[in-house]
Formats: sequence, C-alpha cells, structure tokens
Amino acid sequence: MTATLEPAAPHADAGLATIPARIRDHATRDPARVCMREKRYGIWQDITWAAYWDNVQLVGHALVSLGVEPGDRVAVHSENRPEWLYADVGIVAVRAITMGLYPTNPATEVAYLLQDSGSKILIAEDQEQVDKALAVEADCPDLEWIVYLEPRGVREYDHPKLMDWQDFIERGRQHRGSDASLIDRRAADATDADIVTLIYTSGTTGPPKGAMLTGGNVAFAMETLVADGGFYNPPPTNDDVVLSYLPLCHVAERAATTWTNAQAGVTVHFAESIETVQANLKEVQPTLFFAVPRIWEKIYAGIHIKMNSASLLKKLTYGFGMKLATKIGDELVEREGNHSVKTRVLYAIGYPLVFRALRDRVGLRKVRAAGSGAAPIAPEVLRFFFGIGVIIYEIYGMTENCAVATVNRPGRVKLGSVGEPQPGIELKLDEETGEILTRHPAVFAGYWNKPDKTAETIDDDGWLHTGDVGEWVDGTHIKIVDRIKDIIITAGGKNISPSEIENSLKTSPFIKEAVVIGDKRPYLTALIGIEMDTVGDWAQRRKIPYTTFRDLAEKEEVLKLMQKAIADTNDRFARVENVRKFRMMPKELDHEDGELTATQKVKRSSMHDMFGHLVDDMYGNGTAYPGGDLVEVHTGERAASDDEDAEGAA
Amino acid sequence: MSAPPDTIEPKAARATLRGRPELYTRYAADQALLNTNAKKFWTLALLLAVIILPFTPFATRAWLGNLTVVMIYAIGGIGLNLVTGFAGQVSLGHAFFIGLGAFTAAFVGGTPGRTAGGLELEMWIWLPLAGLVPMAVGLLVAPLAARVRGLYLAILTLGLVFLGEHIFREWEFVTGGFIGRRAPEPVIAGFNFNQRQEIFGVDFEREAIFYLFCFVLLVILAVLARNLARSKSGRAFAAVRDRDVAAEVMGVPLLKTKVLAFGVSSFYAGICGGLLAIAFGQITPENFGGLAGLLLSVEFLAVILIGGVATISGSIIGAAFVVLLPRFVEIASAYIPFVGGQGSGAFLTIFQVNQILFGALIVAFLILEPRGLFGLWLRMRNYWKAWPFSY
Repeated sequence: MTATLEPAAPHADAGLATIPARIRDHATRDPARVCMREKRYGIWQDITWAAYWDNVQLVGHALVSLGVEPGDRVAVHSENRPEWLYADVGIVAVRAITMGLYPTNPATEVAYLLQDSGSKILIAEDQEQVDKALAVEADCPDLEWIVYLEPRGVREYDHPKLMDWQDFIERGRQHRGSDASLIDRRAADATDADIVTLIYTSGTTGPPKGAMLTGGNVAFAMETLVADGGFYNPPPTNDDVVLSYLPLCHVAERAATTWTNAQAGVTVHFAESIETVQANLKEVQPTLFFAVPRIWEKIYAGIHIKMNSASLLKKLTYGFGMKLATKIGDELVEREGNHSVKTRVLYAIGYPLVFRALRDRVGLRKVRAAGSGAAPIAPEVLRFFFGIGVIIYEIYGMTENCAVATVNRPGRVKLGSVGEPQPGIELKLDEETGEILTRHPAVFAGYWNKPDKTAETIDDDGWLHTGDVGEWVDGTHIKIVDRIKDIIITAGGKNISPSEIENSLKTSPFIKEAVVIGDKRPYLTALIGIEMDTVGDWAQRRKIPYTTFRDLAEKEEVLKLMQKAIADTNDRFARVENVRKFRMMPKELDHEDGELTATQKVKRSSMHDMFGHLVDDMYGNGTAYPGGDLVEVHTGERAASDDEDAEGAA
Repeated sequence: MSAPPDTIEPKAARATLRGRPELYTRYAADQALLNTNAKKFWTLALLLAVIILPFTPFATRAWLGNLTVVMIYAIGGIGLNLVTGFAGQVSLGHAFFIGLGAFTAAFVGGTPGRTAGGLELEMWIWLPLAGLVPMAVGLLVAPLAARVRGLYLAILTLGLVFLGEHIFREWEFVTGGFIGRRAPEPVIAGFNFNQRQEIFGVDFEREAIFYLFCFVLLVILAVLARNLARSKSGRAFAAVRDRDVAAEVMGVPLLKTKVLAFGVSSFYAGICGGLLAIAFGQITPENFGGLAGLLLSVEFLAVILIGGVATISGSIIGAAFVVLLPRFVEIASAYIPFVGGQGSGAFLTIFQVNQILFGALIVAFLILEPRGLFGLWLRMRNYWKAWPFSY
C-alpha cells in the first residue's frame, strides 16, 4: 500500500507542485478513486479524482472565458462543499487569486471584502449569499459576475450579472474545446511568488486585512503540516477520512481539507451544514479530526447533558468509566501523552464498558489524530478526551504564517502549551515584550493593499510579529500568554492576561462567553454570557421556569450559579487577578450583530459600545443591572432594564 | 484524460468505508433489509441454527412437529398482520380463509373417497391453488368489507366464519362433510416432503424434511411480505390504517388498497391452511368453522398482538409464543398443583390454563407494550444502541 501513498512528486518538466498540479497527478494516477463525498439526497455521493480534476479545469476555463487574468481576484462565498474546492483550485489553476468569505458575513462585510479585494467574480452559494451580494453590488465596481451554485429562489432573479453554476461550467466546457492547452500553459508559467489566496484575518480590532499567501507559502505549509505530520501525526495517508465543516475561508480548515486532500489524498466528507455536524460525524467516523475549542467544548457539554438524563444503570456505568477516564487522563497528561501499562490496562477495562460506545456516539471512534487550534482550549476538556482515548494535540499558528508555528507532538504533549516549533522553522520570543516571532518560507507576502500594516507585521529581517505574547515551558514548548493588545494593566500597575482568566471561567459548562475588564481600573470585573443549552437544562432540572435567553440569564438562581463559577476561578488565581464583580450579557453574542468575528471571537471594541453601561454600573457601585459581586447577587432594577429595551427598540 | 469522468465507476478505498455502518454511498445499501453488519451476521446465524436444528439431539420428532406448526402459524400470522396490522382492517374471518386453503389443498391434492372427490395433483399445483382460491374469495369479499370499518368490519368478517362452517359441512364433494378428509401428500416430481427420505446418502426423518420445507416457504413469504410492507402499497396500507379519510385526500385509492390487503392476506392464510392440513393429517369442518373457527381467528389475533402489530418478525415471534406456550404449560403442569391433564379431576385443565394465560397476556400487552414482543425487543435493542446515553 505504502508505495501509492507517496505524495504527488512534482514532475521535472511540469512546473511546480502547486495544488492544481497535485490534483492533476492524483487524477492521472488514480482517476477512479474516491477523493470526496458529499451528502446529497440522503446518501454520500462519491466524487472521484477524475471528476475533481475535470471540474477544476472547467472552472479555470470558465473564468478565463469571463475575462479573468492572472492576478485577478475571485471571491467564494459558500458553506463547505465540493464546488468550493473546484472553484478554489480552478482559480489557482489559471493563476488568479481565491478570496473566501464566511457564510455568516453580513452584507456590509461582504461589501467591504469585495471592495477591498477588488474581486472580479463572486461565486455565491445560494439565495442568501446572492441577496447579500446584490444588496451591495452597486458599491463594488470591480464585480462583474455573480455565479450561484443553488438556483433555488435565484432562478427568477433578473439581473445582468447573475449566472448559474451549470451555465458557468458549460462555458468552461466550450472554452476547453477551443483552447485545450490553457491550463497547462498557465501551470508552466506559475511561480512560487504567485499569490494564490487572500485570507482575511478576523480582526478583533479594526477591519479585516487580507493576508496574501503565495504558492511557495502553501507548498511549504503542505510539506510541514501534512507530509511531515505537523497537523496530524503520524502523517495522513489516502486511507484516512476527514470531515470538512469549519469555514474553508479560514486557514486552518484550508489546511485540514484542501491541503490535506491534495497532499495526502485523504477522502474528504462535506458535512451537510454546521447544524448537522454531530450527526455527520457519527456517520463518517473520521480518522483525522481538527476542531476549534468551541466544538470540543460542545461535544463535551453534550455528553454531560445526555448523561444527566440517562437511566440509572447507564449513569453508574458511565460514572465508573469516568473514574477510569480521569485516572487515564491524569496519567497521560503527566506522561506527556505516553501510555503506561496502567493506562493501557485501565483503558482496556473501560473500552468495552463505555469508551467504545461513547466515542462511537459522538463520532470519534476511529479518530487516530485529533487537533485543536485557533483559540485556547480548557485543560479540563483535554483531560476528558485524553481519558476516553482521544488525544488532542494543540496546534498554534495564524493566517500570516499559514498556520505553521508550533504543535504538540505525540508523546511530547504539555498541557497548557501549544507545543514545540515545527521542524525546519525559526521561532523566537521578542526579548522585550515576549512576543512570538516566526521566520520560515510560509510567512506571508504581506497584507493586500496595506503596505503600512505589512511593515508593522514583518520586520526587515523577515521575522513575522505574531502579536501573541508567549513564554517557554521547559525550554521546548511554547505557552501563549495573551494577545499583546489585550493585556490589561490595572490602575495598580499590574500586568494581567485576561484571556487566561476568561478561559478558566469558560471551563464552567454554564459559561459560553466571558470578557474580563480592568484596564486602568482598580480591580477586575467580568461580563458573563451563559451557555443557553446547559443552563437551560440545569434550570429545567430545578424546575426554574424561564422564557428567553435574557430571562434565564437574569434569574437569581443563575446569578448564584455564575457567582460560584467565578469564585472557583478566583481560587486558581492570585488576589490581584480575582474578578470582583460581574454583570450578565442580556443577549447571545452574534457575528451578524457585530459582536463576534466570523471565527466566533469576541470583538473587544464592540463590547464597550454594547455593554458600556454594564461596566459603568460595576465600577460606579450601582445595582441597576443583573449581576453581583463575590458576596451577593442582585437581579437589577427591572424598570431600568425595561427602559433599556425600549431604547433598544427605538 | 482518456475517459470522461462521469463514465468512470468510482472506486472507494475499503479503509474509508470499513467500520462505518451509517456511511451509505448507495441507495441500495441504505435501503437493504439487512443494512448493517450486525443484522447480516445475526440473521445468517439464526438461519443456520434453524437449518441445523433437526440434526441435533435436541430435535425430537414431537418438537420438530411443534416447530413446524410454529412456522405454519407464522405464515398465517404474517397474512393477518398484513391486513390487520399494516392496513388496520380488523379481521375475525382469518380462520375461514385458512379453512378454504386447507380444503382446496385437500381436494386438489387428495385422492377421491366414498363421497369426496379428489384431483390427485402434485403439490406444485395444489399449494399455489391453496393460496389463490382463498385470495380470489378474499378479493370478492373485500369490496364489501371496504365499505365498513371498525366494529362493523369485525362482525362482517366474523360472519364469514359461520358461512364457512355451513359450506365446509355441506359441500361434501370437496370437504368430505362432517367427518372431513385426509390431507394431501406434499409431492413434487415424485419427491414426498412428508416422508422419510435419503438425500445424498443422508437419512432424513419425515418431520425434518417437512420442517425444512416449511422453513424455506416461511423465509420466502416473510421476505415478500416485508418488501410489500415497505413498498408504495405498504405505505398506502399504513396511510389507510392511520386515517382512511386523510389517506384518500392524499390520493391513496381506498378501495384498491383495502382489496389488495384482503387479497394478499387471504393468500397467506390459504397457504397456511394447506400446510396446516398436512400437519393435522385429517381435517374436518370443525377445525375451521363456527366457534372453533372463531377461536382459531382469535388465536391468530393473539399471534399478531403478542408478537407485534405491523411487523413481520413480530408475527413469527408471536406464532412461536402462541404455539409453544401450551406445550410449556403442559410440561409445567406436572409441577403445579390444581392443574391437571385433560380430565375433570383437576381444578383447572391445561386447556383452561392456556385460555386464561392467553387472555391475560393479550390484556397485558395491549396495556403495557402495544408493540408486542417485537416492541420489547426494540426497546432492548434501543437500550443498547444508545449506550451509554438514554436517547
């Protein structure tokens, strides 16, 4: 088997090992082999390498027939689906530049991204995305065509720039008939310095910036992350199975889906939608699984909620299994992810009782390598998954370095760290600020049309300033302290990392969002957003009636629950780092309302606009809004909060 | 690229499918009767066990006979389940169709006697006819039955049993009158399925041969019924059962659906009757008509209620339960005081105990688990399927 597993080596005469070149090689070598599956009409439809490559060519030809020149930008605004990959690779095959948008991007952001990138063509998934584009189309002078994938609802639209995907592909077919060698010619011209994609960073501060990644960046990233096992270890092979569900416009999912598929030939399965991820996971049982902490926490919380309503025998068995899991998890953490005889024996006892079934139910039974990245993950969650035999390797990287920075390696896992630098790269800490700096061939070419920002980020020696403050752990592993901009300096002059405290708060299954405040203030306070599912379940068990998110969040019992969670966190930190007061967020934070970035990170700047009155209430010693301190809680003055509602409505 | 990609047959790596029972890439796999490996394995194991059973020391002739009756009852139970369980048309006339099948078989396959006639044809003719004749009668009656429902339908079908008693008793040329007639011989091309035989040098008991024959027939008929139940017609049955007015509004032809249900059900009943005749050896109108017929009908209702309404496997489980319970009671009666043999010396006869048990069980199932034994099995399966969760 191993002979066929070798990554597609570049042919001497065929130019660079770009992604299109790799897809072409797979298609020549193994045309009938299934490389992707998409769930449609109730079953997983097979897609072969030949079909993949054929569609890539057709997209490339279609783009050229619509006047796309090398260096032009083409935007893709869609959930994960095969067409995303056809489009992405097809765009690169004719040396144009892919720009991805998050499906959740609201129309205003779509306008900004299309304008900033100057995209010529937009490939939009369905009516929802087409509507956004049409609403702002007048402000995007460069936009010439909007190609839609799902004709449902759009068919009736009468707009000169709209084109159906089928017509688009048909155009490509005709163009291929007249100019068959186009793709080969473009491939021969391709260089390492070609920009292949613009990835807009989420921008917790300021508007998003388009990071330009070159062919050379991506090739190095594929070598390091996929072929050398920097993402999944041992490295993926074409017998591996992955589920693609995180947004493909993010560098992590691009690595986990497009790059892993092109480099190692894994079979990619596209989840039907973000809502069906749990069900799809159970069907697909991937062998490689990358998730952001939010997903891991959701799986973890889901197990707990379901176990709460299980029958007695099941609860007892599960309780016993969890005792084993805790022992296994603790031992594994202590031994840096190496099994000992004890853990193997305990695991062998727990496997038939609980672990096998549990992993099967959540879709992780066949996972042999799991990753977590993009945000810090709570150690409790890691310990739990270690205990049931799913060892999660935390990985650290960012768009600007193609996600190539550090990773925890099998057998050398340090909990709380993001691992060791990837082999073959340079990584150091700034001596003054402790900022993490990286230098390697995957460091990006700069921000699109923002040379000043680029100069701030890459210094003259080629070091990328990540903006993250880190510290060494035992001289080998890196621990992330915080974003350099987020560090709080209290009125007393003490430097505090809010995200450490926030993450500790978020380990409570009842807390979804926590924002610690205290810059230039005498003490720390926090805004707390509840996790509706778990708190709702908790309230039901205690027969506490509630209606909306806000109503639930402001119940006295819930406030006490939060108070306890904060007290637990305070125990783990020094006195100056203790949260003294808290207020409840009256709504669930949302991307479309501008409170979260597309990757679900809290935008601190918007917190002040949205919840300034809550902060003032805390530091002004008021009790106008629901919240409390370490001694007592208060449900606020209802009248005042009703006024707030009226204002909001106005 | 030589061949156009849409003409290439996709080849998936085995490793990307193995151990993923829910990852369906073909509708055929998704819709297969045995759509998981566990189902395939256990079904195969069960089939093998049933086939091997006659050659094990457990299989006395009496027990093989009992198990054969189980299978015959299962065929009849499936028939009743189609019309009553799936299509929701309560039928008390099942015994009539069983009797019709039995006498058709006896007439077509039997030898002429003093009063009764007989055509002395082989089984490949008389067995299908034993099904087709009741089916034809069922199709005749169905349009009448389709006009009424519920209690009225139950009474209408009950009438068939009493009509049947009269016909079976009086049409001596076919039925042999009140003394009845001998069962036909199950012979195909000279091979008698109800006789000691030597096949490839292996000696087969008479009971073993007939047992295996009934088993093959049961498997074929059960699979056919299962496929009917999940076809368009089967969904029409369910629609009619759940609410006939709503079904008609949805475009389900009411008359056609009910007629089909009665027809197929009567066919199964007829086959059951033909085989039952062989198992009994001698059949009389007393077996299928009048009060005895009503009891037989009720016994089949017990099969589907205890086994599981609207399930094929349930019909088989129910048949096993209904047929074997009296045997176990008989064995157990030796150890229980007040329960005696057939005589009047004991406080309760075995027959009475059986009747009480059936009554109690039907009441208990209706209240506690309307899906019957199959429902219990489903509960058990779901319990383990959801492990360690509860849903």
